[in-house]
Amino acid sequence: MNAGPNRVGQSGLTYFGRTTASISHELKNALAIIKENAGLLDDYLLMADKGMPLDAARFRTVTGRIADQITRADGIIKNLNRFAHSVDEPIKAIDLNETAGLLDVLSQREAAMRQVTLQVCPAGAATPVTTAPYLLLTLLGRCLSLCLQHMGSGKTLTVKVTKGPDGGRIEFEGLDAAALAAAGDFPGENESALLNAVGAECHLDGTHGCMSITLSNR
Amino acid sequence: MRVLLVDDEADLASALAERLDMRGIAADWVDSGQEAMERVAESRYDLAVLDLRMPKIGGLELKARMQALYPHMKFIFLTGYGSEKDFETVACESGEKCYLVKPVEIEDLIRLMRELTKNRGGSQ
Repeated sequence: MNAGPNRVGQSGLTYFGRTTASISHELKNALAIIKENAGLLDDYLLMADKGMPLDAARFRTVTGRIADQITRADGIIKNLNRFAHSVDEPIKAIDLNETAGLLDVLSQREAAMRQVTLQVCPAGAATPVTTAPYLLLTLLGRCLSLCLQHMGSGKTLTVKVTKGPDGGRIEFEGLDAAALAAAGDFPGENESALLNAVGAECHLDGTHGCMSITLSNR
Repeated sequence: MRVLLVDDEADLASALAERLDMRGIAADWVDSGQEAMERVAESRYDLAVLDLRMPKIGGLELKARMQALYPHMKFIFLTGYGSEKDFETVACESGEKCYLVKPVEIEDLIRLMRELTKNRGGSQ
């Protein structure tokens, strides 16, 4: 677990930058909605000051939108916090279900922009592996981006976690032959370095339209 | 002046449209590029306010499609990008300098709208 530190480090930084940029974009949207709806409430009050009756139901709708966006922003910040803490320990025992869950929340916007439905199916039981958690997330993020890039709009990408006898597997399902052909040179040098760093293997299965990452505790 | 707001964040577009209406600017809103193309085919708009990043048809592409069919239209981009520098880089691809970064001040938006449409005589 030590190959190509510069290549691995650069991949990690790139993923960090891309993910935080996406999160900041989402936060900006939530803040913009809060600001505009707060402004609208202010407009209603100004009109009430001028003698127009205040529509309580309308007022409540707008305050509801503000509350919804505060909940949304709080969720985004919680996910950002989870993401930030994924670098706390270079190597540790993790549950692949939790990693897939974090990947899910961090990638929903990217999937939405591609008009792809992203769904995560965790394994029925905890799937512990000892690995480099942040680098694994970086690797899975690259796999997911590649799938989204090539699979076309209107499709569903399923990220499925399977517990193995001594480790686990994360599969990206829903790819077609064209998508897999387009991913022909995957894993490239950067992904190979990440695979080596996290102690995983990558397999492309054209028959089942699937890309899988297998991690072993051995 | 008649304005179309296009943003996939419906709660933003609808609030902004209502606030513009209260200030005497007739504003409609939609939450996708496809709906926007349908609206501009049905009604004449002087100006469209476009979110830069939307699923399927982004703001830059939407502007190109609308402008090809309705050359009289003016455009303002809104974006949630973290910094104006980021946005300028993207906006320059279309040669378009008319943009605001979210969250916007409604007075800034109206000022920009008026600047863009001030030479349009009858459409105001």
